[in-house]
Amino acid sequence: MASLLITGGRVLDPSSGRDEHADVAISGDQIAAIAKNLPRSPADTVIDAAGCLVTPGLIDPHVHLREPGHEHKETIATGSRAASVGGFTAVCCMPNTSPALDSPELVRFVYDRARTASCRVYPVAAATKGRKGEELTEILLLSEAGAVAFSDDGDCVPTAGMMSRVLTGVKQTGRVFMQHCQDPTMTRGSSMHAGAISQRLGLVGWPRAAEEVIIERDIRLNRGVGARYHVQHISSGESVDIVRRARAAGQPVTAEASPHHLLLTHEACDQYNTLAKVNPPLREKSDRDAIVKGVADGTITVLATDHAPHSADEKALPFEEAPMGLVGVEIALPLYAEALVHSGAITWNRLIELLTIEPARLCNLDRAGLGSLKVGGPADVTVINPDLACTISNAALIGKSKNSPFDGRSVRGRAIATICNGAITHRVGV
Amino acid sequence: MTAIHPANPASKPSSPPQPAPSWHGRDLVGLQGLSRAELVSLLTASRDAAHKIEQNALDPVLRGRVVATMFFEDSTRTRSSFTVAAQRAGASVVDLSGGSSSVNKGETLIDTARNIEAMGVDAIIVRARQSGAAQIVAQAVACPIINAGDGRHEHPTQGLLDTLTIASRFGRDSTFDLSGLNVVIVGDIASSRVARSGIAALTSLGAHVTCVGPSSMAPSSLSALGCAVAHELDPLLPTAHAVMMLRIQFERADTDTPTGNKSEQVKKSVIASIREYRRFYALSAERAAKMRQGAIVLHPGPINRGIELDADVADGPRSVIMQQVTNGVAVRAAVLSLLVGGPRP
Repeated sequence: MASLLITGGRVLDPSSGRDEHADVAISGDQIAAIAKNLPRSPADTVIDAAGCLVTPGLIDPHVHLREPGHEHKETIATGSRAASVGGFTAVCCMPNTSPALDSPELVRFVYDRARTASCRVYPVAAATKGRKGEELTEILLLSEAGAVAFSDDGDCVPTAGMMSRVLTGVKQTGRVFMQHCQDPTMTRGSSMHAGAISQRLGLVGWPRAAEEVIIERDIRLNRGVGARYHVQHISSGESVDIVRRARAAGQPVTAEASPHHLLLTHEACDQYNTLAKVNPPLREKSDRDAIVKGVADGTITVLATDHAPHSADEKALPFEEAPMGLVGVEIALPLYAEALVHSGAITWNRLIELLTIEPARLCNLDRAGLGSLKVGGPADVTVINPDLACTISNAALIGKSKNSPFDGRSVRGRAIATICNGAITHRVGV
Repeated sequence: MTAIHPANPASKPSSPPQPAPSWHGRDLVGLQGLSRAELVSLLTASRDAAHKIEQNALDPVLRGRVVATMFFEDSTRTRSSFTVAAQRAGASVVDLSGGSSSVNKGETLIDTARNIEAMGVDAIIVRARQSGAAQIVAQAVACPIINAGDGRHEHPTQGLLDTLTIASRFGRDSTFDLSGLNVVIVGDIASSRVARSGIAALTSLGAHVTCVGPSSMAPSSLSALGCAVAHELDPLLPTAHAVMMLRIQFERADTDTPTGNKSEQVKKSVIASIREYRRFYALSAERAAKMRQGAIVLHPGPINRGIELDADVADGPRSVIMQQVTNGVAVRAAVLSLLVGGPRP
């Protein structure tokens, strides 16, 4: 007998190719049935999904939850709550905490904190100790402790020598290495894209090549290794070309795009707008268009918010001193829809694929049944009203930090209900 | 010679006369984005102030006003110039600079500015090492803010005094129409707030501005500012009306505070060596001799003598460097009077 019934929606499960109008019944923490006109009992909680998409729970493989060490910006509790409001049922949190997630004990700490979170939280472990790029972490122990991927995110593994050891180590685990592609020697003092706006504002520019040379280098290093290699938050149009060529050559390379790189350009930094200061920086229209095209042609297979909370005081600093990053997990879905679906680049079906089974495969979460809707599988479901319009308001964000450059933007398409592990974690319009 | 020209010629057609824009109660954060009429109104007031100062007849329109200088970065001449200007215009000046300020104790720029404003000052003159700092302060307080240099961004009173000096020398200080004048700016343009303010004013008034330096200091993306970019100085000298030499900013070459001696700083800098820089970009007496008759040499100071500018030229007949310093006081007195003078808001 069902305990939760989602009725009358368009059930989309790209992992199985399902796209039909049906009811979804949830019993306990599992999906009990997917079929038309399922019987309902008075005891059931019913979510009317007429006009809505019913999809596997959305997965964000790149967020910063700031715990431990920076709890004034975000915590696992507040960040996971924001994620559930955004329609996400699972997030992967990056290791640039304080201390960095570079030991099995810290990986277990995150899982421990996540037990009461509003969504599933999976730690990504550092590949080098303290994310300093000097000494390997205990990659095998970290993997065993449940690290779902490896990354020094926030910093690049800077040298070819260390990078080749990282790739070799990660290869053995079958997990993915996620690179923050930034040659640090090319970005000293840089705070925004190198172009006309940085020249006007007198800010040191951040060249595209700082990203491109790392991707080229890593792909070459990985040729003899064959580890799964993932480019985080791609920002340069030519980077997309590099990834496209490597994939065409059969290399195990993937890449992710973030809402801000799909929608904004360096113009957003004008007037020293620190809300638009992000790493890697917002670039030009040609880059933005190339990233959208990369998603459309299948070069970029994962979407990730890079949700990076910072306090208002920190973002009030002068541009060069303000921290890089912006929040997004709560408002990402309508932004992805604007950039990719409303624009005609891809269908809703493909968008859901990029937000469910693709990131699940990236982080091996598909092995636990995440990223798809299957009878007997975990009851992680997102109900999306693709036409629901709203205006983004930073003040109304429920995460701990409110640093979004999308404040005031009118958007369309929103999660009206989120169900994680059989429990309703978010619901609007009841 | 390779020169990259901007897509839009900066010279604008002259527009019909309009009432002078009001500056009362406004900030002066930068010259980028100001209209030609706004620039002309600042320059006209500066020219008049220069004449009155010369006759010792400047109106003390700021009598009873208090102006604060808030300098978070080393400065001697700019701070002194503002102080002299404010006092000439009748204001008293309180200095909250450097080591005496609590920014060194971790207080933010905004908190410091708000505290100073709460003391009841009528204007704050701010210098800071961060680009955009003046705008942050301007947004945080109600009283007028004058940017005395923020990082690599702008130094608007320097841009005005350079423009006034050039306009006066070439008899353009009635209309400030600078069309037909070639101005060459030499040095580390990319790091220079003096250049950014100067380019904004000079191009807006119709001058043709070419920035010259090694590609590290004069990247082609500078053309976004409305100037041309070149890497060879010699071919530009015969046609230049004014050559503005910038200071090699060893202190801005790296984000760290400068330590060690000059050769140590050169290592961190964007130039390979002083001798290489001098070979191509220093204004030596020999190079100055190639300049046209009546052409002038400017430098915002302080000069690295024997590096970007030879003593013979700095002290020679083409040099208007002392005139720049004198005009600096006039510009600052005029700006303060326009922004702060008159009835209290």
